[in-house]
Amino acid sequence: MAFHSYKGGTGKTSLVVNLGALFAKQGANVCLLDYDFRAPSLNVLFKAKPQYWLNDYLEGKCEIVDTLVDQSARFKLPGKLWVGFSNPSLEALKDIMGKDRKWEVKALTKTLAGKKEIIKDKQVDYLIYDTSPGAQYSSINALAGADLVSLVMKADEFDLEGTKELSKGVYEALGRKSGIVLNKIPLEQIAAGGGAESFGKQIESDVGLPLVGLIPCMCELMAMGGKTIYTIEKPDHTFSKSIGQIAEKLKKM
Amino acid sequence: MSSKADAAIIDLLRKLNRNVEIVSRKLERLIEVERSAGGHALRPSVSVPENMPLDVTTLLGLPDHLRKSALALASLGEATATDLSKETSRVRAVESDYLNQLVAMSLVKKKRKGRDVYFYIES
Repeated sequence: MAFHSYKGGTGKTSLVVNLGALFAKQGANVCLLDYDFRAPSLNVLFKAKPQYWLNDYLEGKCEIVDTLVDQSARFKLPGKLWVGFSNPSLEALKDIMGKDRKWEVKALTKTLAGKKEIIKDKQVDYLIYDTSPGAQYSSINALAGADLVSLVMKADEFDLEGTKELSKGVYEALGRKSGIVLNKIPLEQIAAGGGAESFGKQIESDVGLPLVGLIPCMCELMAMGGKTIYTIEKPDHTFSKSIGQIAEKLKKM
Repeated sequence: MSSKADAAIIDLLRKLNRNVEIVSRKLERLIEVERSAGGHALRPSVSVPENMPLDVTTLLGLPDHLRKSALALASLGEATATDLSKETSRVRAVESDYLNQLVAMSLVKKKRKGRDVYFYIES
């Protein structure tokens, strides 16, 4: 599955990490891939220095499984939690921005081949891509590799209009199953919309996709987002419970 | 005319009849393919600018039926029309036609290996 958004700052990375950790905590084998090559962030949370980056795989310097680092022992998880990181160095960011369309063709075929390789070699139950916002090449490559796309959005008008375009022009065109995760929603906005259920239904109807989850805005998360994996460290927290509900919905999709 | 010559003519007519039946069956199959593809299979394809690589932006600009084939081919790497038809759940003849449309648009290449024709995306 892939987590994507029209705009940045919608909370994709927090969702990906917490969801992946929850699946691994439940005993599943999980692989997270940081496909946000323009603003890598999984390396910050996991404090990782891998031997190979995902950038190296796309350049043909290694196999995709060589990029994966197992985090399950560190967090005492019963299932495996493999993570593939993208290179955050300025050199790598400049390099990725200079790629031409021919290179992107190779990146697409390698993304699709890499997915098969990970599933076969690591026997993962869930492969989750964290992507760049908007219609970036790397993101759409990841969406092409995913069977299920979760569109993460806040509920402002800018997000809503762009999200509708993405849904029609990309997700539908690629024929991927997709759903919306509403994140960072102020409680006042939920109340004004007639409560969570009614508010969710309104967004579903506006975007034309089913609602997978609704997470209220929590200031604490803004401060701790890059430091804490809530589903491991604070399983009773409201955010962890919301992730649990999203996990159950995604399993049924 | 001798009975030997008669037998030879009858044999020739039988062979001709068999060939006509084969051609007829193939024509029927073509019509069936055209129908099942909703009229796409035998028509000229959409045009794309020259030297356009088959990246995601080109992919998103393709009509649905060709996009499905192209995406499946990108996933398989190199494949025959039979391999593709298993991936897309469409009949082989339809898949073969779509792949050849993509070849004609210079988005996909093909090569022969023995009796099989393999399609691939050049990157």
